[in-house]
Amino acid sequence: MSGALEVCIADEALLLLPERAIFWPARGALLIADWHIGKAAVFGRRGLAIPEGDLQHDMQRLDRLLSIYAAEELIVLGDLMHAPPLATDHWPQGLANWLAKHAQLSFSVVAGNHDRISAEQLPAALAGRIDWYPADRRVGAIVLAHEPEPLADSYVLAGHLHPTLRLTSGVDRVRSPVFWFRQDYAVLPAFGSFTGGHNIRPGRGDRVFMTGPDSVVEITPR
Amino acid sequence: MTSITRDDVDRWFAGNGWQVFDFQAAVWDACQEGQSGLLHSPTGSGKTLAAWLGPLMRLGHEADSALRVLWITPLRALANDTAKNLQQAIDALGSPWQVGLRTGDTSTSERARQKKQPPQVLITTPESLSLLLSYADAAKTFRRLDAVIVDEWHELLGNKRGVQLELCLARLRSLRPSLVTWGLSATLANLEQAAQVLCPPPLEPVLIRGESPKAVDVLSIMPETLEQFPWSGRLGIGLLEPVIEQIEQARSTLVFTNTRSQSELWFEALLGARPDWIGRIALHHGSIDRKLRQRIEQGLRDGDLLAVVCTSSLDLGVDFAPVDQVMQIGSPKGVARLMQRAGRSGHQPDAVSRILCVPTYALELIEIAAARSAWQARQIEARVALRLCLDVLSQHLVTIALGSGFTADAMLDEVRQTYASGKLFETHWGWWIDFITRGGQALAGYPQFQRVVETNGVYRMTDRRLSRQHRMSVGTITSDTAMRVKWMTGGTLGTIEESFVSRLKTGDRFLFAGRLVALVQIRDMTAYVKRAKPGKKTVPRWQGGRMPLSNELSHSMLALLQSFRCGDPMPDELALLAPLLNYQQQVSCLPSETLLLIERCKSREGHSIFVFPFAGRLAHEGLATLIAYRISREIKITFTLSVNDYGFELLSREALEFDESTFRRWSDPDNLLDDLFAAINVGEAAKRQFRDIARIAGLVFSGYPGSGKSTRQIQASSGLIFDVLTRYDDQNLLLDQSRREVLDAQMETRRMQDAMSRIATLPIRIVTTERLSPFAFPLWAERLQSQIMSSETWRERVAKMADTLNRRAAAS
Repeated sequence: MSGALEVCIADEALLLLPERAIFWPARGALLIADWHIGKAAVFGRRGLAIPEGDLQHDMQRLDRLLSIYAAEELIVLGDLMHAPPLATDHWPQGLANWLAKHAQLSFSVVAGNHDRISAEQLPAALAGRIDWYPADRRVGAIVLAHEPEPLADSYVLAGHLHPTLRLTSGVDRVRSPVFWFRQDYAVLPAFGSFTGGHNIRPGRGDRVFMTGPDSVVEITPR
Repeated sequence: MTSITRDDVDRWFAGNGWQVFDFQAAVWDACQEGQSGLLHSPTGSGKTLAAWLGPLMRLGHEADSALRVLWITPLRALANDTAKNLQQAIDALGSPWQVGLRTGDTSTSERARQKKQPPQVLITTPESLSLLLSYADAAKTFRRLDAVIVDEWHELLGNKRGVQLELCLARLRSLRPSLVTWGLSATLANLEQAAQVLCPPPLEPVLIRGESPKAVDVLSIMPETLEQFPWSGRLGIGLLEPVIEQIEQARSTLVFTNTRSQSELWFEALLGARPDWIGRIALHHGSIDRKLRQRIEQGLRDGDLLAVVCTSSLDLGVDFAPVDQVMQIGSPKGVARLMQRAGRSGHQPDAVSRILCVPTYALELIEIAAARSAWQARQIEARVALRLCLDVLSQHLVTIALGSGFTADAMLDEVRQTYASGKLFETHWGWWIDFITRGGQALAGYPQFQRVVETNGVYRMTDRRLSRQHRMSVGTITSDTAMRVKWMTGGTLGTIEESFVSRLKTGDRFLFAGRLVALVQIRDMTAYVKRAKPGKKTVPRWQGGRMPLSNELSHSMLALLQSFRCGDPMPDELALLAPLLNYQQQVSCLPSETLLLIERCKSREGHSIFVFPFAGRLAHEGLATLIAYRISREIKITFTLSVNDYGFELLSREALEFDESTFRRWSDPDNLLDDLFAAINVGEAAKRQFRDIARIAGLVFSGYPGSGKSTRQIQASSGLIFDVLTRYDDQNLLLDQSRREVLDAQMETRRMQDAMSRIATLPIRIVTTERLSPFAFPLWAERLQSQIMSSETWRERVAKMADTLNRRAAAS
């Protein structure tokens, strides 16, 4: 698909997508980080009015990607949810219904700091449908994690930071979510529609890929 | 007792050696006949007694314990002094009445006492009045209310606090149809409207003019030579020496600044030059701890302070008798404002009020001269009342539902009595009822937005938790989340916008409340600081301070420039500026009322177009956005927009070809609103505006006091909420209102429209300059606060920026 950009990491080709996701062709896997499902409901409980349409919107984005790339697996690099669900929350059922539509899809989650539950504590609707990894998950030479920490012998793909970059020039400026590739690890932008971001300061040797409405652009200072 | 008569009043006045002014007698007479009205005068004295003795003479002999008169003040800091003044008259005239205070500061025990034994007079703010209406016994509280007096009405007119008061007054009039209303106001251009808004039909308000204005001298502190004077800047510290000299010569001086950061810097500079003034001068602004501010005000009253550097925080209030000199640092911004400030000095009868203006950069000298001549011609600004503030209406409906409850038809009739909601449509009304009962379309799924419940046609709020939240949210004053600033060793310095603190690192030094402090840690919405040694520092940027130069002042400026060109006799300010103005004429030409000046200039950053309509910074923001949008529709281009009070700049990477007829197309007043709407949707402005609206309408609960970080996160996310609402509920009237407010308030569409119609009739002069002209320079310097307008795709823009980045990296 146009707009995507290919990078090679640890001898693996990865496709960076403007939808703030990575497609990993060799494994037929779609990678996202920091979905933060249920954030609207959490805010709602605190007295803040946010319509709950975002989950629907995010699922439609995934529907599109899964069909374009014929992905067999969807991997979430942590913070699937914003907070452990309450019995009154609608989103676990919504997610379960969506997963039921993709019966062949393998769905796994590397638990992040917001996913404060174990596989056993998953709501009934989702139990058995999610491969729940409480900690890092190794896949060949790549380690899938939530928090970006360098590991001795592997390259780490992670989330957690919600990286964004601010660009300025004489007449223009823009701020967008980015993929941030460093020496030992890469950080994915947050996938969820209702998430904030933190501006990063890339160091020397880092590669930064900015996501925009329909394309990914490399912004690595040479 | 027998009733209080005019003779009693005359005797009391005579005993004090006072004279009854004609206007006072006129108000008393009108009040006696049950008439409502507005009393206005440009400066101080005698207004309080004029308004107060009316109801006191009529009713002051009736001793039963019930609320008879409400006194509304915009500033709770004024309440104590007002109470003293009112009580003084009560005692002197032998009335058995008691004065009570009801503001955010009133203790629970005092409130309970007021409930048991109501005072006959209650001094309160619009917010506290609204709260009183939120209790179930509101009808009982106000059952014998006879009069409402609104002090400093001009401060409320034109903002949402005024709208809130209008709605509350409509409620009171439903409870007490014979209610008499009086307003006290400074001089405005639209006094008729001010009276009509306060006393809407069927009331027929009388307009009474107070004492004739005192003479006001507007003087400038001028640099000795123009060369030492900067072409742009905000501080004006170059004139520190003469300012110090003037302070020394007076008994007590108020030094007004336009922003809080400016006041901090001036205070520091004064102490830096005169360390011996420690303890003799003070700093006063809205972020400084209230107790400290009260001590400073007392110091002024007692004559203990040589000078106080302040902001609009001291614009209002009871006079400080010892103050005999007033200074204004920087642009006066408006004629009425400058006169109000000038009126803070010279309280001896027949004394001349003097205000010394300190320009911060060269062209500001023209503004000062312009303010003087506008005042002499009595060209004073209007304050235009707001219409259809749906967020305030929503809050008010919930308030009344929480209080006595309402029926839909009666309530619609009631709110339609107000000027603000007079044109409310039935369809909107239905939307509102749906919004407060169900949460509207997008929020229907949330029980917490079913705030109001209808039973047998009566709307009430019954949920205890929601009720508590609502009472805590009453009011329309909004600001960035405030963080407390405290010493590590204990003691509060004041509050500061969280957005400023969040940019600081531990150990960073900043000026606050006149001290140099260093940030130690941030915990529980409190920034803990310690004393810091001198060194590199920053000054907090508080919000606000974006007030535009008034229309009256702009016109007066252009008129002065015009007469300069014609060689008429000049005030001192323009005589001093003559070399600069001549240089402007030499490289370009002078802006004037008879032509529109456009300058083009090429610089390292790109190609600039400077346009000088003199319509004030807000209208310029709108004009710049609109014109940039129209150009970017025709060609692919990205602009940086900068504005100030004189004009605006469009900066682009590529040179733009245009001539007079092209520019006329871009600035055509036709389709202004449609185009502006389209342009603003591209921008972020509506999103910013939405945050306050959401809070006022009760969509966002800003939290219990001290509830800490989670609330902060909620506030920071308001932009996201706006996006989500836009996506799922675009018909939401609050979104609509935020867009409208951006147009009306933030961009002053009316002034835009006027400016564009004027431009359409003026010849356009396009000049290409080698270097920045004196008028272009301040705009160039303003560029830090610029915004972007682009029709290039995101990809093209990012690619270009990345390219710049790389070239910069390669060069270094």
